[in-house]
Amino acid sequence: MEIDPVTNGNTDTVMAEPAPAIAPSRPVPSSRSSQLTESIKLEHQLLRVPFEHYKKTIRANHRSLEKEVSSVVSSVGDLADNDWSKDVAVSRLTSLVSRLQGLKRKLEEGSNVENLQAQRCRARIDHLDSADVENITEWNNTKLKRILVDYMLRMSYFETASKLSESSNISDLVDIDIFREAKKVIDALKRREVASALAWCADNKTRLKKSKSKLEFQLRLQEFIELVRADSYKQAILYARKHLTPWGATHMNELQHVLATLAFKSTTECPKYKALFEPQQWDVLVHQFKQEFCKLYGMTMEPLLNIYLQAGLTALKTPYSFEEGCTKEDPLSQESFRKLALPLPYSKQEHSKLVCYISKELMDTENPPQVLPNGYVYSTKALKEMADKNKGEIKCPRTGFVCNHTDLVKAYIS
Amino acid sequence: MELKSIKDAFDRVANKHKLSHTKTHEIVHMLSQELDKALSLMQDTQLDHKSILVDAKKLFTDKSPAAQLDSAEKELNVALTKYPKVLEKQLNPEIAKAYRTNAEFDTHVVNQIIANFFYRQGMFEIGDCFVAETGESECTTRQSFVEMYEILEAMERRDLAPALNWAGANSERLKQARSDLEMKLHSLQFLKISQGQNSQEALSYARKHFAVYADSCLYEIQKLVCSLLWDKNLEQSPYSEFLSPVLWDNAVRELTRQYCNLLGESSESPLSVTVTAGTQALPVLLKYINVMANKKLDWQSVEQLPVAVELPEEFQFHSVFVCPVSKEQSSEDNPPMMMSCGHVLCKQTITRMSKNGAKTSFKCPYCPTDIDSTRCKQLYF
Repeated sequence: MEIDPVTNGNTDTVMAEPAPAIAPSRPVPSSRSSQLTESIKLEHQLLRVPFEHYKKTIRANHRSLEKEVSSVVSSVGDLADNDWSKDVAVSRLTSLVSRLQGLKRKLEEGSNVENLQAQRCRARIDHLDSADVENITEWNNTKLKRILVDYMLRMSYFETASKLSESSNISDLVDIDIFREAKKVIDALKRREVASALAWCADNKTRLKKSKSKLEFQLRLQEFIELVRADSYKQAILYARKHLTPWGATHMNELQHVLATLAFKSTTECPKYKALFEPQQWDVLVHQFKQEFCKLYGMTMEPLLNIYLQAGLTALKTPYSFEEGCTKEDPLSQESFRKLALPLPYSKQEHSKLVCYISKELMDTENPPQVLPNGYVYSTKALKEMADKNKGEIKCPRTGFVCNHTDLVKAYIS
Repeated sequence: MELKSIKDAFDRVANKHKLSHTKTHEIVHMLSQELDKALSLMQDTQLDHKSILVDAKKLFTDKSPAAQLDSAEKELNVALTKYPKVLEKQLNPEIAKAYRTNAEFDTHVVNQIIANFFYRQGMFEIGDCFVAETGESECTTRQSFVEMYEILEAMERRDLAPALNWAGANSERLKQARSDLEMKLHSLQFLKISQGQNSQEALSYARKHFAVYADSCLYEIQKLVCSLLWDKNLEQSPYSEFLSPVLWDNAVRELTRQYCNLLGESSESPLSVTVTAGTQALPVLLKYINVMANKKLDWQSVEQLPVAVELPEEFQFHSVFVCPVSKEQSSEDNPPMMMSCGHVLCKQTITRMSKNGAKTSFKCPYCPTDIDSTRCKQLYF
């Protein structure tokens, strides 16, 4: 999909005869295809997430394969170096042979999984490729459904998410399994269990180390605090020796601060240490985990829906949207949208755009605005239609003011 | 959009992956073969088992499978590291930057909007599942949309009765909205009857229902009644257009629009309108935010966006007048005023220009007409 250099945007507005006097022309809205290009650029998450998953699977499979192979080779070496009887040697060798058979099977299975994941990556690239100016409405519909599934996954509404993705045929374009994986860890953290979170950290050790993440450290600290809370001081110290000291080099201050809780009881009133015993600390852990998780997979922290809604609401927000008689076509005429838009800034327009009250059409050079003697303005086409039906008489629909078609004056909006 | 570089990069990953897999498979196969050989040598021949094992060990040390695996993986790793860089270059990885953290959304409101969306699109099962899962209260518009889809489904089966009932019941409001829905429905019913080869019934139907529309749709009525002449082979008549399913599609669309309007909803789903507007606004916003971030300026607490997002026509719901001189949007305090030459400026500009030079008149910036600021007319769009 390449930018078409020929279509330069005159698909939506037609500049007919030049405007009178020196009125500067209205800017031509960006061509539809460059709009499409810009909107595709927003889809980083769509491609990145399945790829990270794919990469992770490849690396994990490779690591376990390496381990197995090394272990087999060293077992052979061990067999050769020592003096085993023939029977023992044969039986050990047989078990090694069957281990390798198992390894071959695992290799096949692993490769199948990897291929499926590669297919998913490819399906998404194809999906982006399929976006065309012609089918843009349908593509946008699919996009909305994708965004809704993303929202539901983040809020853990898994049932609706799977139903929606199945019925809209977008299973390849959404990451339900990845979010389920995260949910398991988050649920465990909410039950104050750090085991799954620690397992996750172990799984992703290299990536976390590269990004200098201290999630594992925080998890260990929390476990330590829980031990102190339960008054198991001896266990706490052992735990600290085993798991916290490696972090001392980089996070000594924090380590010291938390270790000092040994001197306090969990019911302490001292504010600095009371904070460490607060149950909210677990919420902080959950948040940190979410951050690391999203960073690893290249996902945004906020649901895509919220990002798009915020941008859209602010682009559509005008003071008129909050008025009583606001047209129902404006999404901001709905109460719920108004609530969301309240804290957002208003949109800005650089050029006048006028909409005829009667026909709801744009009043531009094709259909210029005309002014009644009472100052109310309507489009030429709508006024002509009214005059034709009423023998030249014009009645203002908002004030009831009556005049003749000949009393109308053309207005020039630049 | 240069998706080509992304596609190429991923192709490279896939190829390297295949290569790596083949190599890995070879290595494991080789290992397995050698061990099988060693085992059969030990079991079937009288050769000394220790020497067999020593041979095998030597073979493995020479071939060094671990190192081979590593090198197979190396090229793949290069491709795996390159691909996300290509992605980050071609696509924007940080669209969340545009999210205003000081304007967190109330989950309940968002959920309500989503539920409404599902019902409006006719996805009742999913909507119900969503409402159940989120624990939100019943959506008030659900029943209305159920009824609407019942009417639409009937139309799919070419049964116009529910549609005609509804249109008849809301005839006044449809007329106020300047909708031609009733006429469309009656024409379709007429055509249905006439294609059932019952010209008499069709004519009496026409007499009963078309008369009202005589002044607005005379031409249509003439065409419809004329088509009766070809009731047996309408496809070959000049009125074959009446056989087209497009007529039904148009009627369905018009009915959906009017139904939603009378319900107080917009004809397009507000959620999809907003998200589409968001898609167009995000690139502009992101660019602006980047500039502000680079200058270390705060962008989150403005009352009005300092950049304009040019949305296409269909997103223009209100008249917005921007004074060509001051570039300010008109408001109640600063309304648009038309000068005697027909050009329009905002009130403050006119006041400013007329005060300049202690004269009450000034020249219009577009045509050299003398303007008297007291004789400008306030406009209402």
